[in-house]
Amino acid sequence: MTIAVLLKQVPDTTAKIAVSGGRVDQSSVAKWSTSPYDEYALEYALQLKEAGGGDLVAITCGPARSSKMLTDAAAVGVDSMLHVVADTSEMDSTQIQSILAAAIKHCGAEIILCGKQAADTNSGSTGPGVASLLGASCVGMVSEVGIEGDGFIAQRGISSGDERVVVSKPCLFTFDKGLTELRRPNVKGIMMAKKKVIESVSAGDLGVDLGESGVKINSHAPPPEKPPGQKFEGAESVPTVVAKLREEANVI
Amino acid sequence: MPFEALDFYDVDSLLTDEERMVRDMVRDFVDNEVLPKIEHACRDGVFPDEWRVTLGEMGVLGAPLKGYGCPGLSYAAYGVICRELERGDSGLRSFASVQGSLAMYPIWDFGSEEQKNHYLPKMASGEWIGCFGLTEPDYGSNPGDMITRAEDMGDHYLLNGAKMWITNGSIAKVAVVWAKLDGVIRGFIVEDEDEGFSAPEMKGKHSLKASVTSELVFQDCKIPKDRILPGVKGLRGPFSCLNNARYGISWGAIGAAQACFDSAKEYSLSRIQFDHPIASYQLVQNKLSWMLREITKAQLLAYHLSQKKDAGDWIPEHISLAKMNNVDIALEIARVARDIHGANGILDEYPVMRHMANLESVKTYEGTHDIHNLILGRYITGIQSFTRDLS
Repeated sequence: MTIAVLLKQVPDTTAKIAVSGGRVDQSSVAKWSTSPYDEYALEYALQLKEAGGGDLVAITCGPARSSKMLTDAAAVGVDSMLHVVADTSEMDSTQIQSILAAAIKHCGAEIILCGKQAADTNSGSTGPGVASLLGASCVGMVSEVGIEGDGFIAQRGISSGDERVVVSKPCLFTFDKGLTELRRPNVKGIMMAKKKVIESVSAGDLGVDLGESGVKINSHAPPPEKPPGQKFEGAESVPTVVAKLREEANVI
Repeated sequence: MPFEALDFYDVDSLLTDEERMVRDMVRDFVDNEVLPKIEHACRDGVFPDEWRVTLGEMGVLGAPLKGYGCPGLSYAAYGVICRELERGDSGLRSFASVQGSLAMYPIWDFGSEEQKNHYLPKMASGEWIGCFGLTEPDYGSNPGDMITRAEDMGDHYLLNGAKMWITNGSIAKVAVVWAKLDGVIRGFIVEDEDEGFSAPEMKGKHSLKASVTSELVFQDCKIPKDRILPGVKGLRGPFSCLNNARYGISWGAIGAAQACFDSAKEYSLSRIQFDHPIASYQLVQNKLSWMLREITKAQLLAYHLSQKKDAGDWIPEHISLAKMNNVDIALEIARVARDIHGANGILDEYPVMRHMANLESVKTYEGTHDIHNLILGRYITGIQSFTRDLS
């Protein structure tokens, strides 16, 4: 069996984001990292491979810098890497889904894992969109996945408790925060990763005709600045503070 | 605020991709597993055993050694590992230095094939901890006059004497001990269960509190004949180990300095006095820019030395300069950082006083600051000044 994990490189959650000309200024991002939910997808993909055998391929669609993320994935045990090199900054979700679906077909993967949403766009459409294009079962927001007979069992939290969903392949799981610790690479893995070659292709190589973008992003804007804190002194201000905590902050 | 490793000249861009991946791996370990526990470890005076396990799992012990289950990394990678570990704590870096450079290295370089196969894989994996016995209560900078003796008893050696200031001593399975056999310094592998061997822990340290420091005591300690290191005689043995450990320290000190700089910068930007952040005052800016200047120079020095180490084009004096300079500036940076933190600097809420106290030891061990000056003095003039005997 071939398992694919879809990874996206995003600004690190600690990186400062600058907006210029109505767009996030990518050149100002000091550190790029794998989107955190994708890291859980990767961890469970590794566990599936360890439990059931097979090949694990990491796929990304993004600019040249994204290849570092694939090498990092190889260092923790991914067998092969496919990089669809593309400037995704002006692509819409459906275009990226087409590319990823074609990349998955190219690798022959029938079990696909990805994050529930990317930490930069928070769109949450990639997983379901790719599953739809592939005709695969889609189980969203899972926190764990394992092998169950010929199929797979995923667990997710719902309002009344935990739900377990069993599906057969082809199937796609989108990951919420997982229930396990993420693994760290080791020196052996890092040295192995150096020897693994990243297959680098374009959307055209995969036979994807992107067409026109159906969704256009008007502009990005930084979140409004937080209003300054309020300061109260002396015992006489207690009623005011209590009132504010009750009515404005809703904490008491 | 997440830690920002000061790298003003982007020296890390000179590292290979692999070396940067190793850096990120160790940095992640320090962020997530060391820093949350370090102050407790210091208060309790223990080296958390889970750090040993993780160091072994990461595969960084004995970093530059090749074969026998060792990582086989470059000296640059070994330096980076030391730097990242010491950003956490000098005691943690000391553990790794002693394991790799002082215990594994002599077995790797001077051991028999059987010794290498027996000890190195288990030491690289962290299963067996090693220590290094050279210094004695009365012989520190002058190890050549050591008292510890080995006697050939026919079917075994008998070891008598005592070592002091031995990192990892009480938790080690394997001790590489230097002793005189017929007046010649030789290396012996002592195991924790050997008859006549004990390793009482030294208590009451104000420095390297998260590191185990011990005495090694040998009272008619019986050592099998196959535990002598066959490949070296004389002080060259221990000194070649120390060269590697000192090299690692020259990188490690930068990590401690970076941690102090980062803390001082953040503190000075948030501490308001006379209505303004203290970072806006010239005296504080002068201190911060001096730190930046010294850290940048230390980084370039350590990186260049790593390239010389990897090329095999180095002399011990190169390492003396780097160890001496980088620890010296790191200690001074820690002191100035403590000063910038004001009274808060003495609290364990901030890392600066811990690094400062640690670096006082680092300045002294592995060749004191002054001894390294004398090594350089001898290099410059051709005249040794260690003793009054000027012949």
